[in-house]
Amino acid sequence: MVKNRGPRALVCFLRGMGRSLSKPYLAVALWLIQLLLAAVVILPVSNTLHALLDRSPAADRMVANPDFGWWETLRRVHPDLLGNFPDLAQRLLSPDGIRWSELSGLRGIGATAFSLALLAVVVHAFALGGLLGALREPSSSLVTFGREGMRRMPAFLVFTFAALGAAFAAYAGVYVRSGVALHDRVRELDTEQAAIAVTALRLLALVAILSLIKLLADAVRVVWVARPDLPPVSRFLFGLGGAVGRPLRVLGILALDVLATALLYVIWLLLDPSAGGEARFALVPLILAQQVFVFLRLLIKVGYYAGMSEALTRAPSPEYSYVASGSGPSVADEPAVDRA
Amino acid sequence: MLPQKRRSATRALGSCVAAAFASALALRADSFPPPPIASYQITCRLDLEKKTIEGSEVLTWRNATSLPADTLRFHLYLNAFSNTRSTFWRESNGENRDGSLPDSWGAVEIQRMTGSDGADLLPSMRYVSPDDGNPDDRTVAEVVLPRPVRPGETISVAVDFVSRLPRVSVRSGYKGDFVLAAQWFPKVGVLQEKGWNCHQYHATSEFFSDFGDYDVSIDVPAVLRGKVGATGSRTEERETSMGRVLYRFRQQGVHDFTWTADPSFVVFRDTFREAGIGDAELILLLQPEHVSQAERHLRAAKAALAGYGRVLGPYPYATLTIVDPPWGANGAGGMEYPTLITAGTRWSAPSHVQRPESVTVHETGHQFLYGIIASNEFEEAWLDEGFNSYMTDRVLQQTYGSDRVVLPVFGLNFPLGIDIRHPADTNRRYYERADWDVLASESWRFRDRSSYGSLIYSKTALTLATLERLLGTPEMDRVLRLYSDRWRFRHPTTSDFIAAVRDATGQDWQWFFDRTFYSSGIVDYAVEQAESAPARAPRGLFEKDGKLSAGPPPSLSKPRGYDTVVTVVRRGDVPLPVEVLLRFEGGRTHRARWDGEARWKRYRVASGPRLIEAMVDPDEKLLLDVDRTNNGRRTEDDERAASRWTVRAVFWVQNMIDFLTFAW
Repeated sequence: MVKNRGPRALVCFLRGMGRSLSKPYLAVALWLIQLLLAAVVILPVSNTLHALLDRSPAADRMVANPDFGWWETLRRVHPDLLGNFPDLAQRLLSPDGIRWSELSGLRGIGATAFSLALLAVVVHAFALGGLLGALREPSSSLVTFGREGMRRMPAFLVFTFAALGAAFAAYAGVYVRSGVALHDRVRELDTEQAAIAVTALRLLALVAILSLIKLLADAVRVVWVARPDLPPVSRFLFGLGGAVGRPLRVLGILALDVLATALLYVIWLLLDPSAGGEARFALVPLILAQQVFVFLRLLIKVGYYAGMSEALTRAPSPEYSYVASGSGPSVADEPAVDRA
Repeated sequence: MLPQKRRSATRALGSCVAAAFASALALRADSFPPPPIASYQITCRLDLEKKTIEGSEVLTWRNATSLPADTLRFHLYLNAFSNTRSTFWRESNGENRDGSLPDSWGAVEIQRMTGSDGADLLPSMRYVSPDDGNPDDRTVAEVVLPRPVRPGETISVAVDFVSRLPRVSVRSGYKGDFVLAAQWFPKVGVLQEKGWNCHQYHATSEFFSDFGDYDVSIDVPAVLRGKVGATGSRTEERETSMGRVLYRFRQQGVHDFTWTADPSFVVFRDTFREAGIGDAELILLLQPEHVSQAERHLRAAKAALAGYGRVLGPYPYATLTIVDPPWGANGAGGMEYPTLITAGTRWSAPSHVQRPESVTVHETGHQFLYGIIASNEFEEAWLDEGFNSYMTDRVLQQTYGSDRVVLPVFGLNFPLGIDIRHPADTNRRYYERADWDVLASESWRFRDRSSYGSLIYSKTALTLATLERLLGTPEMDRVLRLYSDRWRFRHPTTSDFIAAVRDATGQDWQWFFDRTFYSSGIVDYAVEQAESAPARAPRGLFEKDGKLSAGPPPSLSKPRGYDTVVTVVRRGDVPLPVEVLLRFEGGRTHRARWDGEARWKRYRVASGPRLIEAMVDPDEKLLLDVDRTNNGRRTEDDERAASRWTVRAVFWVQNMIDFLTFAW
């Protein structure tokens, strides 16, 4: 038996991007979902800001330059608007991290945003099912996306919540707890650079664990869709095995996805169409630019999942073979799933 | 002989000239160094292994009051860290600005105390707690003298002591081989006419002592050779037996002595020189990982000496030592001692952000406000911290302009393109605690540390900045210079400063300080109503040709322009004079002054141009106003800012949703 080494990560990713570009409606579907979720905060944010700014001359300065004083005043005069959301966001980026008890300080828009994130996780389960299912079909549409999403949702919800729980446990158990355990020792280090290095190691460990969780979860999802012929437990194990058996390939695809997305953010921040207030961008072009950015980001996201599908499953599963008997070229007898 | 009237005028003129001359003499009477009250000659030995300092001091103390003194009171500050029952520990709940206080203990043990006639004073020593009656607090000790010290008499007291340094968490202590010996020796309190002013060490208090001359010899291990900094000038360095090194430092005209040592220090030297201010050697003791920031520290120190000196007068000392504590010893940073300051910076210190500049300027400024103008930090902490915060903002603005907001990311700092203006934004923390306490409170009587910091530092700074805007900067500088000239090397109070304001301006400003320093009320003015509608013809009965008839006369029947109504309200408890600006179409404006006493004031303009916006305090003179967003009102909505920020918010929520669904 000839050992099939399979395509490299870059090839898988590029093929995935190709499939994403050939099915742009998938990115459109994700864009619609994220926009609808984000729209939940439009009304409370808009009403609050209009009440605060429409008649206030301070708004002129805000349009030209972000006003630190206005931001601080807003937080003080309207403490229920955001609660401790800005502080939590800052602590998320600190060596100490966030503790779950601090979430009780969320208020108003901050609490809404957090609830929104949880809702997004649930909707994401649906979207992934639809995305992976639609990618498997040679010709598909938004209808396929919706059908497959509903079909896979129960199982994908389980996978998503399991992965979410594992990620939270990793954050609390690895990152936060290590920070507490090492706190006194870090303060006794000779230099701040050494302390930063310790933080970097902790962060690296967390990122590694989160990456592992994500890759395993995504591999299970891909194989779950690709191998409906297998019983559930086998599908689950095949999924895990698929990722474990091709660690460099799947990790490479993930890394390429992260790099491409990061590059997009860097370009956005450099171009910074929001800066300069109205001098540089009127509102409508600004909205268009923002949504084009989101769409491109989602194209990359779809490309990632397509790339993972490429890496773990190379031929359509039996369920999706629509070759009519007696017409067209015969299908080559090759294994349905790429076995390492 | 002069006529009667001219004789009276001449006499009055002569009195004025004599008074001015006498004042000038009084102003110049306090030359440097001031007559010493509490002088110390100390010999000490650092045990780097045990983290102890064994010392012998000879205190030469003069009774500068008009009453005899039959006791002496000493500060034993390190005893605040001796156990969890001290007043300091109790008030701080075992926490400092960096988190929990470590279980590392400090203390001062007095082993011998004898008077100048050899009398043993130790048996009479007892601990007193004049502030809170805490029987477990050992930060103030009192000894009974064998005979009272007469007014003007000078005595000597010899003390042998051992100071045990804690792991540094609040100012004094060690970290590894780094030592900051602050408040480390038994220090006599201040005897005033009403008795001993010798407070316990509180969580939010600092210090207070008399001027004197210091002569201190410090014996350290050889590993610290060349790495010792202290108050004053180094006059001797020599090797002693067993491979140790002795350093001798001397300084006249100071009220404390602090020293530091760290084998890791990298030493930089520079010189500050400006005519009329002084000539000082700058000694920078920097951590190796911060050597790239040496120039920033030195530039900031020079800017501070120049900026403060031009307003408050000369810097009389020959040295200024700037200490950079190591990582993990942040508690030792950001502190002032005579001719020695501790700054503190981060390895990640972007050049556009004013760190370490802000702390270096602030602590250097304390050389003037605390070191030279030696107010009581226990009882009137705002006189040094608040005044210094105000001056720090001025110097930073003059030297560097606005600061920048920093985003800390896992220990690295990234500047954001958001300005922090001095002083309006740098003291914004005041607004959250604006009505928590009366500013003019003793330092240990604030609700908590955040209230203390917000009011003592920020509210005072904003109050003085408001005063400056009301007076004008040149007049404010005259006030500060008069205050400084009168009270150099002395202990002023708030009343003395208020008197200086009165004497410099010729006006009584007591009302201003009653409403700011002596009040917990807030300042908040708002424009509640700003309407401008086309003028309408009046209706009703009008007199025409001596008879009432319906309808207005022709002159009123076709009104032109707009009728404008503006209502400005005082939402806060504290009234301050304020300006109101009305801006009309066509560029016309109307500016009015309002004394701010009533709860509201209404302005009407009939048949005038259309009002565009109304603003209260348009020049932002009232920096104490807790809410500037309500200080202006437009007659018509301008939705651009709100729409733009809504769009931004939705965009970043979309990105956040994507990020949060990414990892699982």
